[in-house]
Amino acid sequence: MEDQAGKNPQIIGFACSFCTFKASEMAGSLRMKYPEGVRLIQVPCSSRVDPAFVIKSIFEGADAVFVAGCHPGDCHFIKGNYFTRRKIAALKEMFDAFSMKEKLRLFWVSAAEARRFVEKVTAMHDEIKEAKDAGKTN
Amino acid sequence: MKTGIFICHCGHNIKHTVDVKKVRDYFSKLPNVTVSMDYPFVCSEPGQDMIRENIEKEGLDRVIIASCTPSLHQDLFKDLLKKAELNPFLVRRVGIREHCSWVGDDLEKNTEKAIRLIRAGLYSAAHHVPLEEKRVDVTKSALVIGGGVSGLSAALFLSKMGMYVYLVEKEERLGGHVRTLKDIWPIRQDGEDVISQMEAELRARENVEVFTSTAIGSFEGSFGNYEAVLDTPTGERKITAGGVIVAIGFSPFDARMKPELCYGRDERVMTTIDFESRAGSLAVPDKPRIAILHCVGSRDEQIGKPYCSRVCCINALRVGNAIKDKYKDSYVESFYMDVRAHPRGGEEFFEDTQEKGVLFTRGNIAEIIPGPDGLLVRGEDTLLAEPFEREFDLAVLSIGMSPPVDSTLIASLLKITLDKDKFFLEAHIKLRPFDTAVKGIFISGTCSGPKDMEEAINHGRASAVKLFGFLNLGYAFVDPFIAMVDMKRCSGCRMCEKACVAKAIKYDEVKRIVRVEEAACMGCGLCNSTCPSSAIGLKGYVDMMIDDEIGALVEAI
Repeated sequence: MEDQAGKNPQIIGFACSFCTFKASEMAGSLRMKYPEGVRLIQVPCSSRVDPAFVIKSIFEGADAVFVAGCHPGDCHFIKGNYFTRRKIAALKEMFDAFSMKEKLRLFWVSAAEARRFVEKVTAMHDEIKEAKDAGKTN
Repeated sequence: MKTGIFICHCGHNIKHTVDVKKVRDYFSKLPNVTVSMDYPFVCSEPGQDMIRENIEKEGLDRVIIASCTPSLHQDLFKDLLKKAELNPFLVRRVGIREHCSWVGDDLEKNTEKAIRLIRAGLYSAAHHVPLEEKRVDVTKSALVIGGGVSGLSAALFLSKMGMYVYLVEKEERLGGHVRTLKDIWPIRQDGEDVISQMEAELRARENVEVFTSTAIGSFEGSFGNYEAVLDTPTGERKITAGGVIVAIGFSPFDARMKPELCYGRDERVMTTIDFESRAGSLAVPDKPRIAILHCVGSRDEQIGKPYCSRVCCINALRVGNAIKDKYKDSYVESFYMDVRAHPRGGEEFFEDTQEKGVLFTRGNIAEIIPGPDGLLVRGEDTLLAEPFEREFDLAVLSIGMSPPVDSTLIASLLKITLDKDKFFLEAHIKLRPFDTAVKGIFISGTCSGPKDMEEAINHGRASAVKLFGFLNLGYAFVDPFIAMVDMKRCSGCRMCEKACVAKAIKYDEVKRIVRVEEAACMGCGLCNSTCPSSAIGLKGYVDMMIDDEIGALVEAI
């Protein structure tokens, strides 16, 4: 296996159109900075995220994946994000079994929370990078 | 398949941190790309013509536009494809401005990211299929929530344009805060007069129903046919409205949140609103000493109100003016951070007030200490950089605007978003300032941020115009991103039926498979990610598209 240390992590994020994707647009408009390794895939609702997408992302070579949607109770599709929360919780158990729990994250960012979006993804990126540099990742 | 890729420079916005030539050259070498071009502004008319010419000349059947974020200018590019006789859903927008050039500084890394993002669009576009826009019938009626000056002006406009209007007000009377205002600057009219004129005009109209002392019980449905239950004093009332205007106004800042000013504990400390209602019966000496405090509840990080409330400077000036008019020999001192007299004529009014003898001291007030003979005002003069203490008979707090008390409730009922200060968030601050993220729901007036009366009226009318444009035809087109069932793959396990929030999935007992009721489908895609046999797919976001996007984002370049 090639040496992963020193390489910047690649993170795929699934962002819901109504909240997190809007927040990312706002972060862009406000010229906030976050690492280039963070790349978003727009989905209508976080509940559109099939656990298979997350697994596929890891298979394809992503260092980590996040799923982000509206805050619980704020879902544009009424309760889509409750389904997401359950699904991702189950998936996390599986990731844990493969000792890669830190590779999957779920968080809520509303359309107004551009700063929170940037803080969340930057923190995630930095932690993954640290683990990578220390050779702790598989 | 012939794909054309058009990369926008957006002037310098993208070009500055993304090497667009390199991106263009990368894609021109890919086998399934027919055209790869860059252009300063693809949204401009010459840019559009260039794309159209290329579509026609090369016979393109997929168009990738790498530019600003997909939600901006989407209709423009859809129309462009229609003009070029292509299905509008064969265009794919890739946001390389908000999601790439603006969020990173490193040219090389940004270029790489842009390539990956566009490649994801390219791979995904291969699975785009021509779709028909869904036509929905629209009820020509509007629900206006809030009967303040902004809601009233919106309701009046809509009603005059022939829309049926339901106006809902929480309080017993229409008019909101404006009704209580006296001698409104600069028209020098009482709020009562302004409101009663508007109310009389509205009540005389036949196509308006006004509900006072009414709350919104529930809210459902989608654009064109929102269904709300109103809790009126005479019982529940169900209504159907094509669109909604939210105009629930603001709450005055509660000055008790700043206990050091002693508001509510000493009668001699009052807000501008109290001053207005008690102006006639003030117990002050013949030569009163009066302090006016600007920015109470505005531009104050400590209490979570970092914004400027925009109206309180003029209010403070009005108070100063009124006192000077009544008591020629009074001593009036205004403590300000900056005087933001921004409306037309405001600066002149400020000068007028100064000439009348109101003193302006740039300073922060630390506390007000009530004593038997007066109020001791302590603070810091920020121009002289020294502390001061002065005695006054009266202190008037020019309070700012806080978000409406019901903003969280309305936001969760209507599924619209609040900003960090708990005012309603617009879809785009410059390009869509009246829209929310939900189609057919508009915001108007101070519930989307502090505004003066003129602005609130304009905002109400503007939202009404936008809504009118949506409802006028009686039908509208919405994106056809709804679920579809592959009948051959469906095993009839009914898991999607259980998951579907909109109850849009029906089980066919004879065929033993499910079908989607198109009108009810909201397009969230939950069924798609629930189905164990990949038999149900969300148009526009099918599994293959997202699968290929994932690959494109991490694959080596």
